[in-house]
Amino acid sequence: MTSEGLRSQTILVVGGGIGGMTTAVEAAEAGYDVILLEKSATLGGRVAQLSRYFPKLCHPTCGLEINFQRIKKNRRIKVMTMTSVAGVEGTRGDYSVTVTTTPRHVKANCTACGDCGRAAESMVPSPFNYGMDTVKAAYLPHEMAFPQFYVVDPSVVGTPEGEKIAAACKIGAVDLAAKPETFQLTVGAIVWATGWQPYDPAKITTYGHGRVPNVITNVEMERLAAHDGPTHGKILRPSDGKEPKKVALIQCAGSRDNNHLAYCSRICCLASMKHAAYLREQYADAEVDIYYIDIRAHDKLEAFYRKIKADPQVNWIKSKPSRIEVAEDGGPMVCGENTLTREIYAKSYDLVVLATGMQSSVKAGAPAAEMDDYGFVVPHDGSAGIGSAGVASGPLDVSMTVQSATAAALRAIQAVSGVRNASEVS
Amino acid sequence: MNAAPTPTRKYDLSFARYVYQNIDGGDRMAKCMQCGTCSGSCPLGDQMDYGPRKLFMMIRAGMKEAVLTSNTIWNCVSCYNCVVRCPRKVPVTYILHDLATLAVKEGYEQAKTAINARFAKAFWWSAARWGRTDERLVTAIYYFSFGLSQGMKMSLANLKIAQAMVKTKRMHLGMPHKIKNGGDLKAILAKAAEIQARDH
Ligand SMILES: Cc1cc2nc3c(=O)[nH]c(=O)nc-3n(C[C@H](O)[C@H](O)[C@H](O)COP(=O)(O)OP(=O)(O)OC[C@H]3O[C@@H](n4cnc5c(N)ncnc54)[C@H](O)[C@@H]3O)c2cc1C
Repeated sequence: MTSEGLRSQTILVVGGGIGGMTTAVEAAEAGYDVILLEKSATLGGRVAQLSRYFPKLCHPTCGLEINFQRIKKNRRIKVMTMTSVAGVEGTRGDYSVTVTTTPRHVKANCTACGDCGRAAESMVPSPFNYGMDTVKAAYLPHEMAFPQFYVVDPSVVGTPEGEKIAAACKIGAVDLAAKPETFQLTVGAIVWATGWQPYDPAKITTYGHGRVPNVITNVEMERLAAHDGPTHGKILRPSDGKEPKKVALIQCAGSRDNNHLAYCSRICCLASMKHAAYLREQYADAEVDIYYIDIRAHDKLEAFYRKIKADPQVNWIKSKPSRIEVAEDGGPMVCGENTLTREIYAKSYDLVVLATGMQSSVKAGAPAAEMDDYGFVVPHDGSAGIGSAGVASGPLDVSMTVQSATAAALRAIQAVSGVRNASEVS
Repeated sequence: MNAAPTPTRKYDLSFARYVYQNIDGGDRMAKCMQCGTCSGSCPLGDQMDYGPRKLFMMIRAGMKEAVLTSNTIWNCVSCYNCVVRCPRKVPVTYILHDLATLAVKEGYEQAKTAINARFAKAFWWSAARWGRTDERLVTAIYYFSFGLSQGMKMSLANLKIAQAMVKTKRMHLGMPHKIKNGGDLKAILAKAAEIQARDH
């Protein structure tokens, strides 16, 4: 099946979230060599930052752990963390990829004993908790980080504290001299699985995130609900740590909006319903108002919608709020028009959660890949050498990400095997 | 292609198409998804009988008469909050103003009696004639549009304010101030009328 002119049968997967990990294990278990590049210090992507998954409300540990095991057991997969792609040249079967690494300052013999963390004194904002709290300058990215290696923050390199951290490691795994590196990889196919980043809520000026106290985003809500988050799983409002009893969840915050993201992110309705469930589980007397244009609970997720709808303390207000102001009590006040009753409302809350959408991580363009109008990477068929998986290809939930990632693995296999289109595989 | 407006009809199922094709900004109105941002953003939202969102739905439902006799089209103060926030970039302000123009053209009673219709008429008279708004004349024409005795009453009620304005030189006595080159203004307005007649 291999045709001439294809120099490499290795598949490069860029991005180690649930999408990229799935593509990697599917391709590797089918007998192909895979290089899995991840920009951050650990695999797992955004899923690792969720408290629980809809629709079954299980913990992300589950899906991730299985994939970590499959990656660990498979010698065909080479994982490179803190690595990203700087450039791509060549054609299907023969790409020369320039990759760059940022130093972790911790070597692969790290046993995650934690001595370096105990020696560290200064604190840095925790990227895992979206900067809602801080971590020591020598830290494990999160409990289930894979690989289980610490990271030393560059801010302490070249300081006496850095030396102290290095000295605390009994096996000499701290390497303060590590420098960024650039090198070349030769691969036959590339799958972009770079996922998403939350839409910047500061751009939605009328909703006051960062200006009006206790206006947070849905990703911050995931961290507040997570047992390893800044509040250890108890949902407390940021300004004073009080239990929020009146909560507004605002859909399409910057989505389906030509001034922001013109598309629907598909998962935010379900994510907010999940947030209603988190709140109602923790506080029997909590009232949750969901502001929506229309509810998009596609396919099998309709059942979850019906379940939340049955809760009399969850109210549905058909309205896209026009603005959020500071109420007299200093908290957030949501203003707009109820489109079913035509009432002009101004309602105060303890906490407002903006359901911000998913924006492509490579909106500025992935090297050599074709992008759609919204900045997602077009998932080509196997006749092209460059494809995409998961949210890199468009807004998807986890189960759809896994489907798209499996499809991407097959297309990449076709690409490195020299198959021109799917009908040729038999 | 243009459905002709039919002033006598209460319902007109071709009204939405007429608006999409003929009203300034109407083509984008087709993209309205009824989210309510406009009505919620409107500083006069609770004083409008419908609010832009509902008005747009009524246009789609062919409720021509109710739309063109609503106070919504007259109460827009052109603050543009709705235009800036509309997720579908519908130029709500333009649409409301052009609907008001249509209501005038078709001779609806409300287009003569609505207070903002009266004021707009007085304002336009002064602006077109002098190139400026003369506070005395605009208010006088506006007040007396309600009739002689009502006009007197309204004038007297505001006399104190007028005196204070004269004193602080916010209002003057004597001939109305004119712009230079009034002829050019007339030419501009004539051209605008010609373009409007051609394009509408
Ligand atoms: C608030 C919220 C709640 C959600 N809740 C649920 C839920 O309950 N259930 C559900 O099914 N879905 C949920 N989702 C959707 C879910 O998060 C996504 O479906 C999932 O993250 C997609 O995985 P992915 O691998 O495609 O992308 P990601 O998780 O974003 O992973 C991409 C990975 O690529 C890496 N990367 C990015 N750029 C580069 C680069 N240039 N080079 C190398 N690596 C790079 C990133 O560091 C990351 O590790 C939720 C989404 C939101 C916003």
